[in-house]
Amino acid sequence: MKTWKVGLLFSETGATSIIERSQLHGALLAIDQINARGGVLGRPIEPVRYDPASVVTRYGELAEKLIVEDKISVIFGCYMSSSRKEVLPVVERRNALFFYPTLYEGFEYSPNVIYGGACPNQNSVPLANYLMNSFGKRIFFVGSDYIYPRESNRVMRNVLRQGGGEVTGEVYFGLHANADDFASVVDEIMQVKPDAIFSTVVGQSCIEFYKAYHAAGGNGRICPIASLTTNEGEIDAIGCEASAGHITAAPYFRTINSPANRRFLKAYEQKFGSTVDVTSCCEAAYSQVYMFARALEETGEIDTECLREALLGASFDAPQGQIKIDPDNNHTYLQSRIAKVDDNGEFVIEFKVRRSIKPDPYLVYPAIHDWSFRTMKVAGGESRHE
Amino acid sequence: MSDPIQDLRDLHALVVHPRDRSADELMQQVNRIGCNFDHFWPLPKTLPEKFDLVFIDVTDQSAHNLKSFIASSSKSPCIVAIIGYENPSVLNLIFEIDAHSVLMKPVRAAGVLSCMLMARRFQQEQLSFKKDLTKLREKLENMQKVNDAKFILMRHRGITEREAYDLIRRQAMAKRTTTTEIAQSILNAESILSNMGST
Repeated sequence: MKTWKVGLLFSETGATSIIERSQLHGALLAIDQINARGGVLGRPIEPVRYDPASVVTRYGELAEKLIVEDKISVIFGCYMSSSRKEVLPVVERRNALFFYPTLYEGFEYSPNVIYGGACPNQNSVPLANYLMNSFGKRIFFVGSDYIYPRESNRVMRNVLRQGGGEVTGEVYFGLHANADDFASVVDEIMQVKPDAIFSTVVGQSCIEFYKAYHAAGGNGRICPIASLTTNEGEIDAIGCEASAGHITAAPYFRTINSPANRRFLKAYEQKFGSTVDVTSCCEAAYSQVYMFARALEETGEIDTECLREALLGASFDAPQGQIKIDPDNNHTYLQSRIAKVDDNGEFVIEFKVRRSIKPDPYLVYPAIHDWSFRTMKVAGGESRHE
Repeated sequence: MSDPIQDLRDLHALVVHPRDRSADELMQQVNRIGCNFDHFWPLPKTLPEKFDLVFIDVTDQSAHNLKSFIASSSKSPCIVAIIGYENPSVLNLIFEIDAHSVLMKPVRAAGVLSCMLMARRFQQEQLSFKKDLTKLREKLENMQKVNDAKFILMRHRGITEREAYDLIRRQAMAKRTTTTEIAQSILNAESILSNMGST
């Protein structure tokens, strides 16, 4: 039987495997569901997956392999920007279509990429507002040392400055930093006593950082670590005790109480046994596979030009709410929510932006007072009427 | 100097390029970057004042037409040449029209932003160097004038250089004018007097 072959390029081992495995699961679940309903135009989607093992250069090599050896021209994959930059020239040269289900720092557009995660304008501004209003204006930055944290911090610094805030420190660590490496910065934080910490530490070291902060007496309820990347999977690994009170801004949280999300979580649990690793990036991968399948149904062939035409402007009722691919820039209109970890290690949604936010990947200086970023309080975690 | 990155969205850009795939790619990217822009084709005679940055397809255009188009705006806008060939005659052309940066056809989205920024920075630097140069040149001329006037006074009155300068400065203060003005008057008078002597 003929199938529609798609490539999956998520690391199942290595530094960023927690999050990438969750993205892989999201994509696999969507493929399963679509195939269970008869596939696309009677043919099932067949995933071909490779594990780049969190090694940046492997992503480019494996993308090439998928395209050349497996004759696949639709690929879902990547978490870190550095890995996306490896895949980008390959998909452009071979004119393949690449779905990137991860938030990133913006300032990119390729006709061959559909960007499914948030750009800084979609989550940094609401988060900065929330931190300054709820905790105070002195913020300490800690990040992993690569492009995303540096650019996120630049945006954050600008938004804070506009609101009269102050950056009390800015420190970067390698991707494999462990508790010992974080000891000195945690000491510094204890001395400087900022109102909140903005963390862009990713992967395994993120877990180490939260634990180190907790071990040194840091209390999330008083001075939280706020992040755009720390999600359900990492909170689970950090543990309830050390993660209580910390804050994340994202388009999706597992605790959203909507029919679409309940259906998504139920199916996820049936397939993978538990929903502990469901994250916003997992949801983005899931939604992107669905959007691809819808487009394929329209075009009837895997052709980059036709698929792109069908995808641009398409909308989808995702678990997070309605999303839409912006035809101006291939990025996605997304919801924006801010959630706090409760005593049981679950995110409780505190604020959300009323409508999905238009992606603006080339925004140099987001304005703090832009009305579209205004958040509204969410009663009881998340409205029950969605 | 203003910050080219910060001012990006205040720019008014113009694309002078036949309406094809390259032009579409370019305009869409300028739109994503968030600049106002207009499109003209064929090359018009004059360039409206409001444009800060102009992308021009220089293929098959004469240097003369391009230069007169660019010079028609008093604002001296930033010029990005779009070229289809990289041969010496095309490269000569972009030097001749003083382009600040270059984009190669087919235009793709990646690189447009950096190209705009490099062009802006180069142009702003050029403008500020030009301004500094004019200022320095004026200053040098003025110093030369004062020096010449000093020597005239020293010769006529048998005074020292210091005394000659003090004299010029006091005159300038009394008449509420600059030392350069006084020096110029002395030079004028000297030239009239010496001409009288020779007739």
